[in-house]
Amino acid sequence: MLNKIIKLFSSPKLFVYSLVWLMILVVVGTVSQRDIGLYASQQIYFSSYFFFIGPIPFPGGRIVLALMLVNLVSMMFKQNLWKMKKIGVVIVHLGGVMLLVGAGMTAIFSSEGSMVIEEGSKSNTVDDYNITELAIIDISDVNYDQYFVFGQPLFKNGNNLMHENLDFDITILDYMDNATLEQLKGSSGIQFKGMLKNFMLKRIKRDKDDMKNRPGIIYQISGSFSNTDGIYGLIFGQSVPATIKVEGRQYVMSLQKKKTYLPFAIELEDFKKVMHPGTDVAKSYSSKINLIENNVPRPILIEMNKPLRHEGYTFYQASFIENPSGEEATVLAAVKNYGRLFPYVSSIIMSIGLLLHMLVSMPNLFKKN
Amino acid sequence: MIIGVLTFIIMFSNTLSAEKFLVSDIPIQEGGRIKPLDSFARNQSLAFYGKRKIKHDNLSAMDWLLNLFTHPEKGLDQKVFNLRNPEVVNALDLAWTNNFHKYSYNELFPGIEKQLPLIREIFEKKEAERDVFETQLVEVYQNVMKFREIVSSLSCLLPLFSVYDPALATSLHIEPGQLISYAHVMSHRASLFETSQGIITKPESEWSLSEREIALLLYNLQQTSSDEFAKALKIIPPSKNDSSGLWLSPWELFDGRLIEPHQDKIIKSLEAYLLARFENNIENQNTALRSYKAGLLSHIGKKVDFSILSKERWLNKADLFTNSLVFYLLAFILLGLSWMLKPVILRNIAFGSIILGFCLHAFGIYLRMVIMSRPPISTLYETVIFVGFVIVLISLIIEYLRKDGLGIFIGSISGSMLHYVAFGYAADGDTLEMLVAVLNSNFWLATHVTTIILGYGTSLMAGLIGHIYLIEKIRVPNDTARLKSIYNNMFGVTLIALFFTLFGTILGGIWADQSWGRFWGWDPKENGALLIVLWQLMMVHMRISGLAKPDKFALGMVLNNIVVIMAWFGVNLLSIGLHSYGFASGIAVNLVLFTFFEIITGFGTYYWARSRNKLSIRTKNI
Repeated sequence: MLNKIIKLFSSPKLFVYSLVWLMILVVVGTVSQRDIGLYASQQIYFSSYFFFIGPIPFPGGRIVLALMLVNLVSMMFKQNLWKMKKIGVVIVHLGGVMLLVGAGMTAIFSSEGSMVIEEGSKSNTVDDYNITELAIIDISDVNYDQYFVFGQPLFKNGNNLMHENLDFDITILDYMDNATLEQLKGSSGIQFKGMLKNFMLKRIKRDKDDMKNRPGIIYQISGSFSNTDGIYGLIFGQSVPATIKVEGRQYVMSLQKKKTYLPFAIELEDFKKVMHPGTDVAKSYSSKINLIENNVPRPILIEMNKPLRHEGYTFYQASFIENPSGEEATVLAAVKNYGRLFPYVSSIIMSIGLLLHMLVSMPNLFKKN
Repeated sequence: MIIGVLTFIIMFSNTLSAEKFLVSDIPIQEGGRIKPLDSFARNQSLAFYGKRKIKHDNLSAMDWLLNLFTHPEKGLDQKVFNLRNPEVVNALDLAWTNNFHKYSYNELFPGIEKQLPLIREIFEKKEAERDVFETQLVEVYQNVMKFREIVSSLSCLLPLFSVYDPALATSLHIEPGQLISYAHVMSHRASLFETSQGIITKPESEWSLSEREIALLLYNLQQTSSDEFAKALKIIPPSKNDSSGLWLSPWELFDGRLIEPHQDKIIKSLEAYLLARFENNIENQNTALRSYKAGLLSHIGKKVDFSILSKERWLNKADLFTNSLVFYLLAFILLGLSWMLKPVILRNIAFGSIILGFCLHAFGIYLRMVIMSRPPISTLYETVIFVGFVIVLISLIIEYLRKDGLGIFIGSISGSMLHYVAFGYAADGDTLEMLVAVLNSNFWLATHVTTIILGYGTSLMAGLIGHIYLIEKIRVPNDTARLKSIYNNMFGVTLIALFFTLFGTILGGIWADQSWGRFWGWDPKENGALLIVLWQLMMVHMRISGLAKPDKFALGMVLNNIVVIMAWFGVNLLSIGLHSYGFASGIAVNLVLFTFFEIITGFGTYYWARSRNKLSIRTKNI
């Protein structure tokens, strides 16, 4: 029985079929990027376990890769594999196992986001690229702010968001991946508060370029038993902050990209952009920063292809923002990835294995006539 | 033998630098680097005329450019603009039938002036939103403006002015009646302006004869200085205090700045050269050029590398890849003849011919590396050249081992075809371009891109052997020994290809991890490379699991060619992602044609071979 299962799962035919399906996924996932953008396509086809066409579920990238991993591991239990002649083959497949394990770790545990720092200022937060959060900040106290943060997975229509220290409840009415503000001709009903008195949030088509999407949210505040109860709206990156007052306490509400707080801060001293002389082709970008930990600053230069690695985080020179007035801000990509060494090691192992196998088999394949 | 020829060529190339300084070696800054004037001239000729020389006047690009400088008026009437779109021609109020669609500046300019509002409107659109007509109209506009700029860029050095008043002539350090340039007058302007002060205060009727002459001279100078906008020719090294690294054009020197000794010397030598060329005096031309080089050498800042300049000029002229193509074609023809006539001798000559072509090919790549001081592959054009190099190299090895013409066949066919494809890309402009920041880290570029391109090359080669296998299967279905050895070769090359594509793809991930912070982002180019790896893994495992017998394996490797070409060129059509380093219009048609060709020939020969197979089995049974 066990042998049969091993035989089934270790069959190269299973590998071939998984490969075929993976190739279909790759083609569909690449072509669809034209219409829905890279992030959405990645979420649907590659970073998913299943995706649906109509009512029919199809295996997504994670299932296929997991199946291939099972296939590879069970192959290791084959008796006739462990021969000197096949040493190269064994090593290649061990490398393959490592590569897939690393991919799995990265898929599950890694996180990435960006930091925007203006020259002369500092930051200790990383904004996620895609996931948003609703932050309710109690600013009544002079000495500290109190944050109540609700993440995007909670934004389901009708969901109630509560916190024991919060004097009111929040009910999600609508969440939009990409929204726009539309000015109303007259005023809306009395149940609408804040921005929604004069504007309406309208859902628009997701942009291919994920950076251009501005999420919006409509929610109801209840339980404050005051005039504050009503329907509110927020849009990502709005210029005027939304504030409410409940029982003498002042709250700021904001829809923002999910923030991760670092145990250290980064201060931008100088951003530099060097062009090829006489062209508008950039030769290099670099940020001169101070890494501030326990109030001790350490000067560091982050350049293209020369990131800063610190406490499991890696900071890359990703982009920059230049104001017409000449002020510059650097955009650093921040990544935390526990699986990042796997590809390095596994590529070496696989190369050695393939080379060995070629050394063994090539003389036969290129015999003189 | 190959190594011997190569070392010979390299040694030969080192003697190049000892040559004397030519006018085509004059360094100019364009596109972010210092190149010889010869390259500049060729690029301009390519942009305006569509070829690297002006064919209907039988002029080299360099002579054409110099004639523009010395005879600007003639240049404006020369038909050098190649317009390929009748719509654009009509929009500019011109007749389409005119002289192979070549037009002069003076013919084009009135139409352009009339269409300025439209052109301004097009400029407000994003490039991706412009249609073919709009793109080409803007291109013509930009070319015409650039041409106007180039024509005037040395007018400050032409002898256009004369002075007959002895006192004025002495103050300008010339003989009365001698022709002088704007630059010459400006270098003695102090004395001129002193005398001119008196004139302005006096009414015109009271001017003396000499004062009239000064007034006329000043008026003419004013007229010529309207050419000040012409700053296209960045041939003057910057001042020693400059930190931007930007070179200057002659006109920029006369905006009132302090001219440094090296700049003065260069300007004066160039003026002398233009005069000598105008008078057709070879001796004076050479003296002027020697002095020009001395001027460049006296520059304190970053030194100009003359050996690199002359290497690039030599490379422009030698046109190594075209010559290499000739040898590949010759090898192919000789091989064909050897099959029909005397096998051994002709095949050996063919082998020699392909080796010669290969050496030129390799030397061209080597020179490009030296000139740009960067790894050989960074633009789409260079990938094509390099894939050709890899395939021919492996073909030579196969030919050396088999000695039956198969290697020559593969190498000469793919070498010539890839050279031909590369020429299509070279027509887009300068192929020696500077790189954007993220590509500008030599180590990762060298490893990742080189490996992946080796993978493309070997993959295509396996596909080609796949074709050959299927054809041989039809031709000699019973020669099992021959079929077996070709099949083995194909599988060997497939393993090599798999090694390079797999390793190259992982290296690409590592590069991405180093640069952008993620190993894999499902970007189109990454996915393309991944598809090749997956396809080859599939073929190898189909072979192991018995799903693919030799015929099917050969068919699979033929179809693999489509995957390779799609990953290589097709991804640029999606025009998304970080890697789209070059978009070529019209490429889509070629891709579709290629795909159809491979599908039809692949499946066609596969089923034909299978029917032959059955036939031969049946005859055996009888």
